[in-house]
Amino acid sequence: MGRDGAAGLVGLAGSVVLLWGTLQLPKSPLVPIGPAFYPRILFTVAAGLSILLIVSDLLRRRSPAAQEARYRLVILAFLIFGGYVFLLSPLGYRTSTFLFAFTLQAVIDPPRGPGRWLFVLAVALATTAVTYYAFEVYLYVLLPRGWMTGF
Amino acid sequence: MLSQLFASLAEVSQLKFLLPLIIGTWAGLIGGAIPGVTITMTIILVLPFTFGLDPLQGLAAMTGVYVGGCAGGLVTAALLGIPGTPAAIATTFDGFPMARKGEPGRAVWLGTWASFFGGLLGAVFLIGLTLPLARFALRFGPWEFFSLFIFALSMVAGLTEQSLLKGFISGIIGLAITVIGSDPIMGTPRLDFGSEFLGGGFQFLPVLIGVFAFAQIMTDLEKAGDSRHLDAQTSPDLSVSHPAVVWEILRRPVLLVWSTLVGILIGVLPAIGSSAANVMAYDQAKKISRHPEKFGTGIPEGIIAAESSNNANVGGSLVTIMAFGIPGDAVTAVMLGAMIIHGIQPGPLFIIQQPRVAYGIFAAYILAHPVMMILQWVGARFYLRIVTVPRAILFPVVLVLCTVGAFALNNTVDNVYALLIFGVLGYLMVKFGFPLAPLILGVILGDEIEKNLIRALMTDPDPWLFLTRPISGVLIALSAGSIALALWQHRRTQARLARIEPEAETDF
Repeated sequence: MGRDGAAGLVGLAGSVVLLWGTLQLPKSPLVPIGPAFYPRILFTVAAGLSILLIVSDLLRRRSPAAQEARYRLVILAFLIFGGYVFLLSPLGYRTSTFLFAFTLQAVIDPPRGPGRWLFVLAVALATTAVTYYAFEVYLYVLLPRGWMTGF
Repeated sequence: MLSQLFASLAEVSQLKFLLPLIIGTWAGLIGGAIPGVTITMTIILVLPFTFGLDPLQGLAAMTGVYVGGCAGGLVTAALLGIPGTPAAIATTFDGFPMARKGEPGRAVWLGTWASFFGGLLGAVFLIGLTLPLARFALRFGPWEFFSLFIFALSMVAGLTEQSLLKGFISGIIGLAITVIGSDPIMGTPRLDFGSEFLGGGFQFLPVLIGVFAFAQIMTDLEKAGDSRHLDAQTSPDLSVSHPAVVWEILRRPVLLVWSTLVGILIGVLPAIGSSAANVMAYDQAKKISRHPEKFGTGIPEGIIAAESSNNANVGGSLVTIMAFGIPGDAVTAVMLGAMIIHGIQPGPLFIIQQPRVAYGIFAAYILAHPVMMILQWVGARFYLRIVTVPRAILFPVVLVLCTVGAFALNNTVDNVYALLIFGVLGYLMVKFGFPLAPLILGVILGDEIEKNLIRALMTDPDPWLFLTRPISGVLIALSAGSIALALWQHRRTQARLARIEPEAETDF
């Protein structure tokens, strides 16, 4: 089975789980059509399309595998962003944004020499300061405060 | 109509509205010039800055981004041979050869002036068509709206470059995202599996930002070795005789009007975006030309056709958004989202009930063109320098802005979690070959599709009314037709590939 087949299986599993979820929904006492009506149509169609995707994948001739991309950097970037998202609440916007901007720069283009490290540090500080002042001070967006840091 | 338009032009000319328009156009020009930062992403990045503004100020900024973005792509397309946005792909065909022949100023300014004229001709259609179409749409009941939304979705899913099946699955995923949370009729919680996070449902802005920004940035990161930065290959002299360039365009009125019409028509139709307008207008120009063999060698006709069509396309897209409330592609879906965030519900009642804002958008669209010209004149060389910003700096900054944009929507970290979830989903979908435009359209239209379906069935439970009511029936027939056409095209392509493949194999 190829990538399409795997995607179809995930789609089918998701549709079945959500279709099961609609069975738990209460019937509406006021209107004849309840909250489950439309989702049931949707997930039935989704399940059908997923099955079609699996079948079409099984029937298709295999083409040579595509060139390998550099997924290591992508996975690292997702992990760093995930860390940023989860640190927003405990550390607050300013600290977590600085750490995120610094780390991601260093990972995408590893600095060589103290001058480059200083540059990365300056960009991280500038990103944090400019976005903080633009949104918090000028646009009145109350950015997250950290429950650990207090700011 | 004209008196309202002049009043709106006077209103938007005030500094209060002009300033956001200028900043938006400037941001659009820069975003459009940077390869890898599309117009869609630029609109997404600018949107949070407009949250606190008056709706017309915010929409003036957004319109500026849209117009500026379409024109911005031409600078890198002509000077570096890299289209800043997909809407400038065909501009590279003749713009880059012309610049390499030692006429970079002529290439950039032919494109800029063609964008200006194409955009203004697009404005004539925008202003002339929106009200009559909106009046026509007033005849629509829930059956017709349901069928219209299904038609838009089927067009977008059917005309995707990848498989038709994946286009539909992508659209269904978009619709499925909207059913999580409370149902739009009675507000009953559904499919939240007891989670407070899921109970609130997903707002479409974090979904849009996550899906688009991550799909683009992470795909770029895969090629980090060769795309960390673009070196400015030249420091070109862009000085040119403007009257001569304007005359070069105006002495080809058929080419200009025809390319503009192609752009408008493609803009009005759901599903086909400005990149298609750009390429199709170029192709049309080649077909009607007396010397088609010269296309691709750096001739003005290629640049005029490509650039006038992509800016006219913006006008056509705005007609569809404002009259029917349906977006044509990913960029217009984000524009529609921006309108909704600013408290505007585009659709047939919009221009009738809120003429000040509607005509304000027309006025902003018209004024964005001279603003774009001035900003291009002042900063074209500066935009060229911006594209050399290393990706290691650009990506963290863009992701921080995405995070703030998602958070600022209603000051909750839940939106940032949603951003991460949909970022992963968007990237995986791209890697598995699923198009993103149908997903976005599904997210934007999902609630309206459900509401209109339920309203129609609660008014009259007879489902055949979707087929027997004339307008609804025509729209359903068009949906079926677009699917059949897409299937036929797909089979034809497969058959052609099957014929080519054995020949290719014999080479080895």
